[in-house]
Amino acid sequence: MSLLERRLIRDTSFDFTAKLLRVSWLYTLLLCILAGVGYAALYSAAGGSPEPYAAKQTLRFAFGLGMMVAIAMIDIRFIARLAWPAYAVGVALLVLVLRMGHVGKGAQRWIELGGMQWQPSELMKLCLILALAAWFHKASWERMGNLLFLVPPALAVLVPVGLILKQPNLGTALITAMLGGTLFLGAGLRWWKLALLVAAIVVAVPVAYHHLHDYQRARIDTFLNPESDPLGAGYNIIQSKIALGSGGVWGKGFLQGTQAHLNFLPEKQTDFIFTVWAEEFGLVGSLALMGLLGVIVLGGMAIALRCRNQFGRLVALGISMNFFLYVFVNIAMVMGAIPVGGVPLPLVSHGGSAMITVMLGFGVLMSVHVHRDVEFGNSQDEL
Amino acid sequence: MSGRDDQREGHPHDMAAPSPSSVAHRFGAPAAAGVPRMEHVQVTAPDLARRAAMERTRGRLVIAAAGFAVLFLAVVGKLADATIIDPQLPRPVAQMRRPEPPPPLPPDGAIQSAAAAASHDFGTRVERAAILDRNGEIMAISLPTAALFANPREMIDPADAARKLATAVPRLNEKMMARRLATDKQFVYLARHLSPREQLTINTLGIPGVYFEKTERRRYPLGRVAAQVLGGVDVDGKGVAGVERFFDQRLRDEPDPLRLSIDVRVQAVVRDELDQAMVEFNAIGATGIVMDVRTGEVLAMVSLPDYDANDVGHATADQRFNRAVTGMYEPGSTFKLQTASMALDSGAAQLWYQYDAADVIHIGRFTITDFEGKHRWLYFPEVLAYSSNLGAARMALSVGAEKQREWLRRMGMFGRLGIELPEAGMPIVQPASRWKEVVTMTVGFGHGIAVSPLHVVRGTAAVANGGILLRPTILARPPDAPPPKGERVMQQSTSDIMRKMMRLVVTDGYGKTAEVPGYFVGGKTGTAEKVGGKGGYRKHTNVAAFMSVFPMNAPRYAVYMMLDEPKANASTHGYATAGWVAAPAAGRVIARIGPMLGLLPATDDAAAIQATLAVPLQPGKPPGAHQPPLLIGEPSRPVPRPPTHVAPPARDAARAPGRMPARLPVMAPPPRDARHEAMLAPGPAPVSGRQTVAVR
Repeated sequence: MSLLERRLIRDTSFDFTAKLLRVSWLYTLLLCILAGVGYAALYSAAGGSPEPYAAKQTLRFAFGLGMMVAIAMIDIRFIARLAWPAYAVGVALLVLVLRMGHVGKGAQRWIELGGMQWQPSELMKLCLILALAAWFHKASWERMGNLLFLVPPALAVLVPVGLILKQPNLGTALITAMLGGTLFLGAGLRWWKLALLVAAIVVAVPVAYHHLHDYQRARIDTFLNPESDPLGAGYNIIQSKIALGSGGVWGKGFLQGTQAHLNFLPEKQTDFIFTVWAEEFGLVGSLALMGLLGVIVLGGMAIALRCRNQFGRLVALGISMNFFLYVFVNIAMVMGAIPVGGVPLPLVSHGGSAMITVMLGFGVLMSVHVHRDVEFGNSQDEL
Repeated sequence: MSGRDDQREGHPHDMAAPSPSSVAHRFGAPAAAGVPRMEHVQVTAPDLARRAAMERTRGRLVIAAAGFAVLFLAVVGKLADATIIDPQLPRPVAQMRRPEPPPPLPPDGAIQSAAAAASHDFGTRVERAAILDRNGEIMAISLPTAALFANPREMIDPADAARKLATAVPRLNEKMMARRLATDKQFVYLARHLSPREQLTINTLGIPGVYFEKTERRRYPLGRVAAQVLGGVDVDGKGVAGVERFFDQRLRDEPDPLRLSIDVRVQAVVRDELDQAMVEFNAIGATGIVMDVRTGEVLAMVSLPDYDANDVGHATADQRFNRAVTGMYEPGSTFKLQTASMALDSGAAQLWYQYDAADVIHIGRFTITDFEGKHRWLYFPEVLAYSSNLGAARMALSVGAEKQREWLRRMGMFGRLGIELPEAGMPIVQPASRWKEVVTMTVGFGHGIAVSPLHVVRGTAAVANGGILLRPTILARPPDAPPPKGERVMQQSTSDIMRKMMRLVVTDGYGKTAEVPGYFVGGKTGTAEKVGGKGGYRKHTNVAAFMSVFPMNAPRYAVYMMLDEPKANASTHGYATAGWVAAPAAGRVIARIGPMLGLLPATDDAAAIQATLAVPLQPGKPPGAHQPPLLIGEPSRPVPRPPTHVAPPARDAARAPGRMPARLPVMAPPPRDARHEAMLAPGPAPVSGRQTVAVR
């Protein structure tokens, strides 16, 4: 935290300048460094050229950054009041995409808007975080033990999860469910209740597997043994692993990666961008990148701890968790540790709508930070 | 974490105004900073409850952070495992993905059972065998359908029957059926290709007098991919073109699927790249071929524009036209590979020979020029690298018409291809009686003769593969088949030199745009002007082709990409020549299919491999060796005939001058160009140092 911030502590005058100064610029710098890594990797993925990926990505990041700061200026109480309307919009978009969405790559999950294709499920995750945080903001320990109090938020999780499953997009549905679970836990759900739920899910898995789409089963089967089908679905994972292996400790050097450059890796600029980085900068570079990502996640948690209202805490926790899940799923997927699931590496992977959605989340996180000390009680009339 | 003190000491909102001391404590500054922390706080019950909730959440947050850390460490461990502890090496994958020999179809294999399901099981046996690609992907398959016919005389109410049928199966035309049923015939067709479900629906209507005839429908799941190769069938299921026609009887007689050498993945890549290039350069057509230079198997054959094989009936003649085997084009400069091989193999040329490309040649009513010529004498490798028409013409002349014709005949340029496609055409060649000196010269650089692209591919494959001419085939070789027997058409040593020449074109010549790191692409550009209506050439209407083979150190695949009438655009700086439009496409194809075919780029020892392929543009002359003057007519001055020692062994007889009519001026090596002189070592002194790199 900067010196400037220390001086402004407990400043109750929430005018614009004060807010602007209260934005965690250190955290913003971390995000810029991450975007810089993205620029380098995309530059390399295009064979050593800012076109067609890196230049556009930088523009989008600049836009996202501006948006983030703008959102940070919005009063967190106002955001809390918007939580449920936003949730309603998110669900409506999910329904809309099911009805008239663009069918791409075998699933109906995209919506065309502003020259970009958006996945409403990404926006939905943010809306869900806000809605659950708003709900649990007024939760006492006793209420958390009351099953009736837990029914509405549980439904709020299940509805979007069900809609996303219908697209079908198993990976995002699971991630959304995990996000919801995290917020329940953060709000103080009893451990044993969650344990019971997890146990129920474990029992349900074989049944669910039976109902999965063939391609989803293929993914899971491929995950269990990628070498079994080298010509098909396992190809990406194998090539990705080869790229990681060929990077070694120090990597092959910037722009020297062959696996990625020679089109061994389809979609390398999106989901498999980590491989491009890892091949060229090796274990050391990968660890540095993961360290950076880890600091960003933990920084989000620190913001949560610093916040003095329950809503902000839960929102910060949810957004950190969401970012963490992106990173974790993407990197684990690239290394073949979990099934391939179309999850980008935030701020690094090429892609407009993902970038905007992530920066939207960071904007809300920053608003939590800026408004960490506002008076925000938990009585009903304040929400 | 900061903020903990405040939690314990009271809520900030309860204070009237921020005091300096609380500011100091705000970020966890030690409480013992000298200022006593005394705050008057009124705590209400809801405040306590809220604080309890916050406390709880903080505990959970810390647990979550710890959980994140653990998961991150797990991923780090996995990363270390993937990068250094147990790195996955490319080698085994390469073997796994090697496309040949094609895996045998096991009796219980998935593909077999899919095909069998359609042809044997469930009482739905179909008459026509399926067509598979080399990996077992279905390219053509017959589905059982039913044709609906009726006997109007057995019908109670034909109009009602027509209405019922049209209601049950909406795609049937009620009026048409009613009209047909209103006749007094005993047999009228009502519909073709009803699906089993439609058949069932009609059966349940219980209309008397309607019957079904077992038919089948040919489906091509890949649609446009490989349309001309597959051809298609007519409404009666009879092959009308391509493989369907050539193997029509075989597909009817034997139930086993027919396995083609085509690899649909490669086919799709070639089609994709051709399509993009065609759009980019606004060409009227394009064709691409990928062939295994060791077996003659065609892995991809694309001709654009194409059609949906499921709907061959509506394809236009231009779409059905298979440019790869039916189209006869002047091969242009890609033919210089033949001329150079011929000159080397016959002993009429050595690597260090020079050819006069300083001035245009006027012969008869023709003028031979170089495109962006160097206007000087060119060394043998330079003739290829800079694609000199003049050099190639003189090279061809040094061999002679008779040997040239013999060479081309052995290379299969005068006959049909022997590939299993009914469309394979006959080259257009001047008869021997009209094979004048000018023809020798123009054919030397690929004009005055028209062959199909596949002819060029086959000839170049022989140049690259060690000198064996193979019969191109569209059928996959059985896995246990002996290596195909080809015909040796040149010495191994000639092929070895030519491989380096082809590589040189890509490293230093006009084919640079086709380079793909690690694949050692070799090739030759070829831009031929199209013949106009009045017997001349049309200056700005080209056929631009790039004939490549990779990897040049151990040739495996020939890739040919050709665009018909490409138009220049800004990205090509106004050129519509092969180096700008066809070579980049070939490079992209190689970059994409190399990995598919199990060839990994050799980047680690790239320098070492390249060194074995390197050859200077201007090779040094061995000491004492002389290039005999290319004499047209009687020798003008005695030429010392040196005992040369450069491989391949010189065959002086082949160089005997005097068989040509005296048409062209005597050509002698002394350079006339100042630039050229500067490049040569002065005098006849041996150019030491260079000669060690001279190829043998």
